Formats: sequence, structure tokens, C-alpha cells
Amino acid sequence: MPLPLLQVSNLNVGFETNRGLLRPVRDVSFSIYPGQTVALVGESGCGKSVTSLSILRLIPEPPGKVLGGQVLFEGRDLLKLHERDMRSVRGKDIAMIFQEPMTSLNPVYTIGDQIVEAVTLHQGVSQDQAYRIAEEALHDVGIADPHRRLSEYPHQMSGGMRQRVMIAMALSCRPKLLIADEPTTALDVTIQAQILELLRKLQRDRGMSILLITHDLGVVAENADVVNVMYASRIVEVATVEDLFDKPQHPYTEGLFRSVPKLGHEAERLLTISGTVPNPAKFPAGCKFHPRCPRTRELAGPRGAEEVVTVRAAEETAKVMKVCAQDEPLLHEVQSQHWAACHFAENYPKAPTTVPQLDHRRQVIAEVIDASGDIPLGTPVMQEIIE
Amino acid sequence: MSDGVSGVVAYERPAAGAMASAPDAGTPLLEVRDLTTWFPIRRGILSRTAGFVKAVDGVSFDIQPGKTLGLVGESGCGKTTVGRTILRLIPPTGGSVRYKGEDFFAFQGRQLRQIRRQMQIVFQDPVSSLNPRMTVGNIIGEPLEVHGIARGTAKNEMVGALLARVGLDPSYASRYPHEFSGGQRQRIGIARALALSPDFIVCDEPVSALDVSIQSQILNLLDDLQKERGIAYLFIAHNLAVVEHFSDEVAVMYLGRIVEKAAARELYRNPKHPYTVALLSAVPEPNPRPKKRRIVLPGEVPSPSNPPTGCAFHPRCPLTRQKAAESSDADTIQIQTAGHVARVMCKCVQESPPLETKQGAPGHVAACWFTQ
Repeated sequence: MPLPLLQVSNLNVGFETNRGLLRPVRDVSFSIYPGQTVALVGESGCGKSVTSLSILRLIPEPPGKVLGGQVLFEGRDLLKLHERDMRSVRGKDIAMIFQEPMTSLNPVYTIGDQIVEAVTLHQGVSQDQAYRIAEEALHDVGIADPHRRLSEYPHQMSGGMRQRVMIAMALSCRPKLLIADEPTTALDVTIQAQILELLRKLQRDRGMSILLITHDLGVVAENADVVNVMYASRIVEVATVEDLFDKPQHPYTEGLFRSVPKLGHEAERLLTISGTVPNPAKFPAGCKFHPRCPRTRELAGPRGAEEVVTVRAAEETAKVMKVCAQDEPLLHEVQSQHWAACHFAENYPKAPTTVPQLDHRRQVIAEVIDASGDIPLGTPVMQEIIE
Repeated sequence: MSDGVSGVVAYERPAAGAMASAPDAGTPLLEVRDLTTWFPIRRGILSRTAGFVKAVDGVSFDIQPGKTLGLVGESGCGKTTVGRTILRLIPPTGGSVRYKGEDFFAFQGRQLRQIRRQMQIVFQDPVSSLNPRMTVGNIIGEPLEVHGIARGTAKNEMVGALLARVGLDPSYASRYPHEFSGGQRQRIGIARALALSPDFIVCDEPVSALDVSIQSQILNLLDDLQKERGIAYLFIAHNLAVVEHFSDEVAVMYLGRIVEKAAARELYRNPKHPYTVALLSAVPEPNPRPKKRRIVLPGEVPSPSNPPTGCAFHPRCPLTRQKAAESSDADTIQIQTAGHVARVMCKCVQESPPLETKQGAPGHVAACWFTQ
């Protein structure tokens, strides 16, 4: 069995604030194999971005602090590396792209200067060679006329173009792992489709691994091989993309799936998850999802008083199972190759607490038709509208 | 809870429920005809007008009482400008808006203020659309005072009832916006819009800034309010699945114009315009075994200050490329776009297609030379 490229074990991150120590990431473990796309899904404040920044040791210290855990990249613990060695990992072995490209592009330097800086720093090549590599990088991400673009400034480009430039810059040093933090959230659907297809193509060509951080279930379903669902600082469910969408085990995952309207599905009313995502300063005790959880409420209904407690959640009070309000559940392998952290997931009490490791590749990749150039006769592009 | 509210707030339209159950009958609530909004581009020291950004360029539609028209399109297509021009938050360049049969653009002064009570807006960003220095009670109560509907205790009672109706505790009236989460702030924005018992609300991307699990709460709330009070919505959004779920009718905009309009289900099942087809194909499905073919359009939405000739979609259109492959060279022309060379139909480059009825359900219109 091949070794994972990246293995994160029991990562804990804290932030010192005037309200005490906040812990936005707790006991997070996951692994990424070569060529794999692993998704980290969750809503705002769940800890997914802090997790990714901690891998590259980019959280501001202080107030942030890694409280414990390991980040093994090709066998080396990144958390123990000297800052100087870490600098050669960042950008070279592991690169990162963000939701807002202007966070990683400097407005007062040309695109060329910025890519060349990264290339000369990591690859030790001459200025001329670096410019050639930069031009090729822009070409690889589908930017027309790359030579001219090198001398342009970020403000002269559209949002989709900047996103491509940022990807070109991130990939110019051929990283083994790309961390993509909400890479398409700020983009329109047609541009999102372009960027996702570009990432898939680059991954195919280079065998790069991707850590995909997003809240968009559609993007996850169509791109990930393995999915980790995060809620309030913890991973609450891990499975292959097929298993997760076919038979979600955690009530939060289930709730997310049901509350999103789907194209072409007729539903009179959307199912909702009541309440709001908790703030890291006010995480509830026990299972962090219990104040919002429909499963524990349903179970608590017929149970006797010794097994239930009443909690105040959002704008209402609810009866929940005592165990949910008191004990925080950990990830158990509730089905073969499928982990969930819920006291009332099937088999939970008996299931083993193995460490999730899934060297899996998705079964179906969406068929894509590129409509940029001429479309050859017989291509089934627009059949349905011309009949 | 909700009974108490309608008792207090529905001071002038007790028959709201009746309106909701009588769709399509009689005059539309809102008739928008050939609406245009152009913004001048000024250049030089004399600020000479050097051209126009045609943000909205000839848009027409009707909205029936108690119904929802969804307006979708990518950023820069003009959908937000349509919503704001209808409410006269942006002065129109041309066209007309009739509200209950009367020319809304002709109203002035007192009359305008009167009618504006009926037309409200909910914004995308619940942070910037609430004044941080005002308490929630003042934010929601201000329109009641300005329009002379209630003051003092009566006003406070109405504010409490409105808060309760949108799912917030009435005691929150004394708090400030920063004390609330994004979803709660959006509820406050909705309560403010409801204060004057409007029968039309422009919802401009009301859920796109919210977390997934909160979006459905807000959509359900808007849905309930429509059923209860017969409010008509212009629902502006870029999320196609949300628009399909929420709307009775959907219009797709591209570069300042409507390119296709149909009943929501019809549009999604039987799209006619190549842009709509590509847009629908580009939405990632929450399904790990995606069935549909994804059409990746080249390039981006062009600038409305310098739109392409003919059909504005032709530089990105897969259909005109496919038609060109089947046609003789005399009917086609080579264009360069987004770094690629492609052969397209001359007609698409030369003439702008009208929005006309296509095969399919009645009322299904699309602007394309080559769809049936």
C-alpha cells in the first residue's frame, strides 16, 4: 500500500484571545495520497481554513498556536521544521490558492515580476529562464498571449483571469500538493466550470494532490475522491465521495444535503437545520451539534427523564439525549471505510476507532465539452435545443 | 404568533390571503416595458460623455400579485440594476414601469412616497445594509414613523410583532446589528422590509452571503411570508438551483438583456437559449456520479460598455460554432475570442436576435437565431 503524501494527525490549534483560549481546530486527522483530491467541507467558522493554514504554518503566532499534533509531509513533520526549511516547502512542495486572488497578488508589481520571484527563489534559475518558465506557466493555465500578460498589473485583469494567474503562480514550481481554499467561491458559474476543469487537467497531467477546502457540496461531489466533513472544530464524518453522498451517517451531513435545493428536483419546502453555526468562543459541551441536531431530538422524544435533558437552542428549547449534551463523540468506523462521530450513528458503540485512511479514487468524472474553438460536426453539444 | 402580527400590521390590506390565491387574474402587479439604464462614461477635464455602459438595455416582464419572478445571470449582466431601477433607486434612462396599472415613473412627491410603501427591497449584504448605530427596534420602526403609521408604544408593539414573525425574540429590539449572526441580520432586514406591509419586494441575492444551513431557513421564511401576505417578489440571484426552487417564472439575463424567459420548471427542463443550456450544465450537482455533460464556455462576460455586435453571446456561443460546422463557408465568419479562433455564423455577428416565442410551453421566449 502506498504511503500518504500528507498525513495530519491529531492537529490542535488554539488562539489566545481576551475571552480565553479559543480552539478552532481539535484532533483533526486526515491523509492525502499522491494524485488524490481530498475535500474538507464545512460552514464558516468550522476550522477548515485554520487547518489548511496550520499545515503551512501560516497562522499568525501569537495569538495563534499549534497545541499539538503532527503534519507529516513525505515523512517529515512540518510542525518541527526550522523556519528556513519551512520556507523551501512553502510554494515549492506545497502551494496554496485562495478564494480572493488579490490576497496573493501584489497590486504594485507586474504579474511577471511576481511569478519570476517565486521561480528564482525556489528553482535557482537565471532571470531569463525564470521568465520563460513564467510564460509557460501562464500558457498552461489557458491565458491567451502570455508574453504580453507578464507585463500587466493585477488590476488590469478580470476576476477569472486573476484566479488563473494565481493558479499559474502556485503551480510554477510544480508542487506535489496544492491547497485550494474556496478556489471558485467568488466566481460565476461559467468561470467556476473553467477553473475546476483547469485544476482537473493540471492534476491529471502532473499527478499533483489537491486539498480542496469548500462549503459547496456540488463542487465536492464532482471533484473530490475522499471527503472530510468538519463541524465546529472537528471532523465529524469521513468517507469516499460515493459513500458520503449515498449514505451519510452524521446528522449534520444529512442535514446539509437536505437543505440545499437541487436543480430539477421539485420540493415544496426545503428542510432546514435549526439554529446557527456556533461561534468558537461559545462551543456547546458534549457533541457540538447537539443543540441543532434533529436525530437526538427525535430519539429523546419517547425516552424517560433520566436519559434526556432540555437545552436552549437558538430561539427555542428542545429535549435532547443526555449523552449528546455531555459526551463528545469521536470518529468511529461505523461502516467499512466510513467514519462518523455521532453517538447514534448505526453501530457507533461497537465500531472500532481506527484512524481514517482512504487511498480511493472517484468512480465517475463528469464529461466536459470545451466550446472554445471550432466544434467538429457531430459533437453532441446543443442537440436538445435544435432537435 | 403570526396571527398576532397580521392583526397588527395588515392595517390596510386585510385581504392579502385572497390575493395570493388568485394568480394570473386581471392586471399584473408590475409591468416593466423596455427598461433601459445607461451609465455615462465621462472622460477628460470637461467630463465629456464618451459613451455609455448599457447596464440594462431593453428589459420587459410582468410580475403577477403574490408570484415570484427569478432573475438570473452572471455578475455584470445587469440583474441588480434592473431591481434598483424598478424601485427608482437608480434613475431610469428609458422605458416604463406600471404598478397596478399606473405609471410609476411619473409619480412625484407625496404620491411617490405613498406608493413606495408598497415596494421594498432586501439586500444581499446584511452587514452593510443595517445602520450599525441604530438599535434593531429603530431600524425596523423608522419606516413606521416616517410614514406616520405608528409611534411610541404602538410602534414598539408592531416592531415586536415583526421580529417575532421573522423568528427573532421581540426583546432583541434594544440590541444593535453587530450582536447578531448573518442569518439573524438578514431576518432583521426582512422585518424592516415587511414593516410597511408591501405587496412587492425586490430580493437582491438575499441568501448568497449566508452559510448553507442558514440559506434554507431564510428561503422558507420568504416563502411563508409570500403565502401569508400575497407578496410578489423579484428574486435576483446567481444560484440557479435556488432560483428554480423559489420562482414561478425565471428570466435569464446576459449583458443587459433578457435572453430567455419561461415558467421555472419549463426553463430548467427545456432550456432553449444556448447560454441557458451552458449555464445549467455548469452548475455542479451534489451527486458523486454526475450524469450531465458539462459545457465549458470560453472567455468571460464581455464589458457592457463595448458589447459584441449582433447577438452579444456569439463570441462564447457553442451553438453558433456547431451550426457553422454544418454550414457553407459563405454563411460563416472566423472570429478570435479569448485566445482561440472559432468559426461562427455571420447572422449571429451581424444581427441581434429578437426575444420571441419558441416551441414548448406557452410564454416560453428566447432570443436566439438558431433554436426552434
